[in-house]
Amino acid sequence: MRKLFLILSILSICFGKVRVVTSTTDLADIVKSIGGDHVTVISIARGNQDPHYVEVLPSYMIKVRKADLYFMVGMELDFWAKQIIDGSRNQKIEVVDCSVEIEKMEIPTGTVDASMGDIHRFGNPHYWLDPKNGRLIAQLIAEKLTKAEPKNSDLFQQNLNLFNHQLDKAILDWQNRYANLSGKKLIFYHNSWPYFSNRFGLETVEFLEPKPGITPSPAKLNRIIQRIKSDKIEVIASESYFSDRVPKFIASKTKVKTVKLAQSVGAIEGADSYIHLFETNLKILSKAFGVEHD
Amino acid sequence: MLQKLVGGLILSGFLIGQTTANPQFSLVGDLVMDHLQKDPNLYSSGIEIAVQGYVNPFARSDVYLHKHNDDSPIELEEAVITVERGLPFGLGLRAGKFRPDLGKINKDHAHLFPFIEAPKGISMVLGEEFYTATGLEVNWLMPLPWYSNLSIGYFDTGISGQDDGKDESGYNDHDHEGGDSNDGHIDEEHHDGEKQPKGSSARWSHFIDLNEVNHFEFGTSYYVDHEKSFGGADFKYKWRPNKYRSLTLQGEVIQFELSDKHEEKTVHPKEVLTAGYLLVNFQFNKAWNVGVMGDFWQFELADIHSMDPSIFIGFSPVEESAVLRIRIGQVANDHEGHDKKHLKTTAQLIWSLGPHKPHRY
Repeated sequence: MRKLFLILSILSICFGKVRVVTSTTDLADIVKSIGGDHVTVISIARGNQDPHYVEVLPSYMIKVRKADLYFMVGMELDFWAKQIIDGSRNQKIEVVDCSVEIEKMEIPTGTVDASMGDIHRFGNPHYWLDPKNGRLIAQLIAEKLTKAEPKNSDLFQQNLNLFNHQLDKAILDWQNRYANLSGKKLIFYHNSWPYFSNRFGLETVEFLEPKPGITPSPAKLNRIIQRIKSDKIEVIASESYFSDRVPKFIASKTKVKTVKLAQSVGAIEGADSYIHLFETNLKILSKAFGVEHD
Repeated sequence: MLQKLVGGLILSGFLIGQTTANPQFSLVGDLVMDHLQKDPNLYSSGIEIAVQGYVNPFARSDVYLHKHNDDSPIELEEAVITVERGLPFGLGLRAGKFRPDLGKINKDHAHLFPFIEAPKGISMVLGEEFYTATGLEVNWLMPLPWYSNLSIGYFDTGISGQDDGKDESGYNDHDHEGGDSNDGHIDEEHHDGEKQPKGSSARWSHFIDLNEVNHFEFGTSYYVDHEKSFGGADFKYKWRPNKYRSLTLQGEVIQFELSDKHEEKTVHPKEVLTAGYLLVNFQFNKAWNVGVMGDFWQFELADIHSMDPSIFIGFSPVEESAVLRIRIGQVANDHEGHDKKHLKTTAQLIWSLGPHKPHRY
């Protein structure tokens, strides 16, 4: 009898959960926060990986094969996810685009073509880097988990409330502690940060990439070096997956400080959850600008 | 009959789809310069046109057209409907004219190859532009903890192998009078009126994550028609610690049991052609990759063999929308036989419009 109970318990643990796959670690972390022990979640892209380009490996299809839900970033950032989902032959999976409720920034107007670099037709897709958008993502995730597992709806709602409470509290705290970052000018490597900058009042003056996805030329680097000197720009920030080579070269010619930020959960040490992602990035920036809070 | 069935399936797929969304259009063009003994040759293989899109929630369609850089009409390379969702038991289906899942590189378009030219030995088995045929292929994603896929296909035309008027094997090229019976462009009938044999193919492939950055895949393939058959095995190991750094080790070997009448060339009735290649490709930053390849083939009874090494370099300044490749390799001169080797240098500029690209290997 005891053995039977044990087997049933194991089966309920294995099969009684909502199986979720996400494109990125940020979405996976929010799913974990809302679903708790009632979900299993796997992210396809690693935190330190560029989410624009993920090589579609057949093993990803196996991860998606038995999933109930797939949460994608959308806005053509994780275009590769479609190939994985199709290849998984999973007929019952629900694919959820987490960008639907987001107020999108930088939607291009006019003709969009490859001369503009790797530009996204539906706007800048790095919306999870505004913590307020984390609320919208969490709300959508809670709805979909509830639909998949209605018997745990109360629990998902409780977890959503707790997540929102923690996030709201953290945002207030960050806006207070890191208020000195507001108005600070910096250069980013790639245009991943408009949502983040908008939330925390940072002023982006330039990108190392001349156009999205295009490696900076020597002429562009020269212009940036001149601009850093003339405008007294203090910091260059780049995503964790970019090489240090270009920022370090510029730093060697100027007094600019170079930092790496976490574009996703798990990208760098300390960014081990959605909330810690912001805490880590803000701490790094405030240290670089010399406006650390006591 | 089979062609009508396949044509009907494709047409019904389009009609049922009734999509108002436009498919994706892509163009791939190239410029090639090669140098072998004489003056350099400068040419283009023409334009590949790709039209791709979803037919309905269960199926997508891919159509590839090729306009060669000459007076020939536009050629239909592939027109295939792929059903990946909606079928039970992890089954998938491809129907139409397409490259069967046979061996490691038969499905790949030539502009994907970092080594520019397809391995000679493999071309001797699959044809200069590899094996393309009209038919059906069922794929089964097996319910195993790792990716394991079994493909079985049936096609209206078989592999005729190399038939470009060049006979590097050293075997006599008897009643061959030109024409283009295969290498991807398959006539309905041989020149002597004999019907092309129906071909059947099977492939069982596996993909295993050794860890987050190391992957290993291997597969076995088998092909048979009423004249000939071959079996093959392949593997690929890839280490990819980040987006712009990777090491690929890949190899493939095929053993082809020829009939006494193989592509209008007289061969011993028990002749076996063994062909294969081994390559190492290292991508060391965003733009550059370099590799080496050994390409070999052997007719066992005739004791004719060749082993041709080459090195290749690739430069992709802006992702994969424009790629410059250079290959320096040893080749046999078509007119001097297999034992006279020369160094051939090839440079290829390849560019693309749209999502179908010469993406990284």
